[in-house]
Amino acid sequence: MTRRLRQLLLAWILLMVLLAIEFGASFIPLGRSARPLVLIPAILMVAAVGTLFMQIGREIAVVRLFAAAGLLWLSILLGLGSLDPLTRTDYHVQAANPK
Amino acid sequence: MSAVVVEAGAVEGSYLTDGVTLRSWLLTTDHKRIALLYLGSITLFFFVGGTAAALIRYNLITPQGMIASAETYNRLFTVHGVVMVWFFLIPAVPVTLGNFIVPLMLGARDLAFPKLNLASWYLFVVAGVVVLCSLFAGGADTGWTFYTPLSSSYARGHVVLTVVGIFIAGFSSIATGLNFIVTIHRLRAPGMTWYRMPVFLWSLYATSVILVLATPVLAMTLLLLGFERIFGIGVFDPALGGDPLLFQHLFWFYSHPAVYVMILPGFGVISEIIPAFSRKRIFGYKFIVWCSVAIAVISFLVWGHHMFVAGTALYSALVFSILSYMVAVPSAIKVFNWIGTMHKGFILFDAPMLYALGFIGLFTIGGLTGLFLAALGADVHLTQTYFVVAHFHYVMVGGMVSAFFAGLHYWWPKITGRIYPEMWGRAGALIIFIGFNLTFFPQFILGYLGMPRRYHSYPPEFEVLNVLSSAGATILAAGYLLPLAYLTWSLFRGERASANPWRATGLEWMTPSPPPTVNFVSTPVVTEGPYAYPAPEIVQHHG
Amino acid sequence: MADASYLPHEFQYSSARHQAETAIAGMWLFLATEMLFFGALFLSWIYSRHWNQAGFDAGAQQTNLTIGTVNTAILLASSFVYSAGLAFIEIGNKRRLIQCCAVAWMLGFAFLILKFGVEWHGDFHKHLFPGSHFAITGPLSGGAQLFFIFYFVGTALHGLHMIGGLILVGWIILRARRDEFSPGYYTPVAAVGLYWSFVDVVWIVLYPLIYLVGRGP
Repeated sequence: MTRRLRQLLLAWILLMVLLAIEFGASFIPLGRSARPLVLIPAILMVAAVGTLFMQIGREIAVVRLFAAAGLLWLSILLGLGSLDPLTRTDYHVQAANPK
Repeated sequence: MSAVVVEAGAVEGSYLTDGVTLRSWLLTTDHKRIALLYLGSITLFFFVGGTAAALIRYNLITPQGMIASAETYNRLFTVHGVVMVWFFLIPAVPVTLGNFIVPLMLGARDLAFPKLNLASWYLFVVAGVVVLCSLFAGGADTGWTFYTPLSSSYARGHVVLTVVGIFIAGFSSIATGLNFIVTIHRLRAPGMTWYRMPVFLWSLYATSVILVLATPVLAMTLLLLGFERIFGIGVFDPALGGDPLLFQHLFWFYSHPAVYVMILPGFGVISEIIPAFSRKRIFGYKFIVWCSVAIAVISFLVWGHHMFVAGTALYSALVFSILSYMVAVPSAIKVFNWIGTMHKGFILFDAPMLYALGFIGLFTIGGLTGLFLAALGADVHLTQTYFVVAHFHYVMVGGMVSAFFAGLHYWWPKITGRIYPEMWGRAGALIIFIGFNLTFFPQFILGYLGMPRRYHSYPPEFEVLNVLSSAGATILAAGYLLPLAYLTWSLFRGERASANPWRATGLEWMTPSPPPTVNFVSTPVVTEGPYAYPAPEIVQHHG
Repeated sequence: MADASYLPHEFQYSSARHQAETAIAGMWLFLATEMLFFGALFLSWIYSRHWNQAGFDAGAQQTNLTIGTVNTAILLASSFVYSAGLAFIEIGNKRRLIQCCAVAWMLGFAFLILKFGVEWHGDFHKHLFPGSHFAITGPLSGGAQLFFIFYFVGTALHGLHMIGGLILVGWIILRARRDEFSPGYYTPVAAVGLYWSFVDVVWIVLYPLIYLVGRGP
């Protein structure tokens, strides 16, 4: 019992450390286009919550299938969805009536 | 399959007589009753959408348009699309035949989450009421695709109200899909491994995967559209630097897989009917089931083919074009499998089989014309013309609606305990086939000749083909009204059905028609694969 | 779960364990749908920032980093405490379950107060809601407004999910007080815990998208 509580406490500390790293990393000069790299600690925090709080590793296999499917389809949406902005030619037009 | 005691024609003690109050129907958690509640609802919406279609075809009899106002015409095709897509095609087979048959076919007593099932029906009804309110208030004029910036900034009409209705319907879809996926994983009868499941279950599983993963994207898209409509600015607004094309990406990320939601259950129904009426096990079972899965996956990778002329890069269009060719392959494999099933089988031409044969032909035409549209060069010429309209009506109406009728007739004895009048059934199938082709084949030609879609008037040289199409529509309408009449008649006067009137395989036929509330008196144990029909030679000897 | 062969279950399930595992699987599948729901919003972030990077980041720099960061810490604590509560009921400690749920609830409530009572209030006061009186004018205005559309839609939707979560956690507390949970049956506690942690996960992704990416040198 205390083993599980200890595991949870360590998980929480890990999350707070990752939050601090993420916060600190946001001060690193990265250049506007590379700024999204600041999300890397966030991804690690998501993994920590999923494995340590939500205990995905201890569930029946079908649960991991569902979670993996969600993540895979999310990457299709974000990845293949980004294909257009990355390849489209932007014919820049000055806004006639900027709001 | 293990032997389960069945009684021919027993109605006492069936799910239909288990509680006769309105409350017992409106608060039921029995998947079979919920299926009937849904059947009533989608039939109503089919006729609402069909009425809009009738008015559209009526308008197009003359080049200047029989209904004077273009605005009215725009609202008509919008309501036709919205109602037919979200309130008929997407739910139809899963919520009626799926809800009824899935637990029976699995050997289960109900779905995994019966209360969620009932909630999904109520969500559907509320959604439908909202959309009907929007319709009676005048509807929207944006088309069912709601492209921005027309829908977000300029459209007159009740966009927000319509979109709220669709949003709510989305939750109904997600609930149904979630229920089916969990049920198929967790409630299979002892001995029913994945490869012993009938193809219908695989098809509904694939359908449900799409429902649960695509519909949430639609929900967010409609929310963002609603925000822009209500507050006057939003992420699609070019005046802010927003991207109207983002709407199309988000919309089609859902709506393209959604068309496979519409057709996959149809594939499943046909895959049950062809073996039963060829008295032969299905050809290439593993190919068919994995093709359903492949379609579900690849369907998410092709949405850009709706946007070839929208301004995306040629490179992006190429990628989506190639992927669209790939998605056609599993569908084509299924067609060959069905034909392979019939080959050297003992063909029976009952109504379900006539609908199924019609499906194979009409779906193939529709599917092949989809490939014309997937070719970049051809699409530049054909996009936004009647060619597209004909293409999707061939797959959706010629395909999916035929499959729905096929399944409805096939499982009618199981659901109602009654046999429908067979000759009327065959007549209906034939009338629908003829009416359908007369309505929609001219539209391929019209599209090729350049007639644009969504226009209330057209150049006079297109008149003959339009008149032919509208004439076909009247025949098609008669074809759809006929089953309404004789199926209703059969409820009161039809011959009572035995447990297995088609002598088909499948656990659903091992229980009485109509089934008792608990489906199976004792849990069946499965010991062999699906479609265990005796070899054709044996059938021939018995004549 | 402890041997539960004596426990009741619905008629379509073969055992209580069968039903419990199925309920948890259903919750995870629902969470997968939520991934796609918020995913569509994240795609709009990608598009809006891609086409209007300078303005988008200028908008982001107007957010309240202090409240955002404190709120993130609050949610992480709330998830931790609720998970502890679940661990307690797994060994039968109902009292600790209720205490943990209550603390998790209060932390969640504090998040909402900070977010909507303080932060949003400040945002409106600074004219950061997109529209005709938007605080940032000039060429960066469009991008900044796009940022704040994402901000208000994202935080509103997350907040609605939080409110749903508070209702669910409150329901767990009520049921726990009625002695409905034991080492043999705590499925609703686990299911609500999954939902609660997931709402936390959504915030973990929203936090850098709102407060961190647009900032910094």
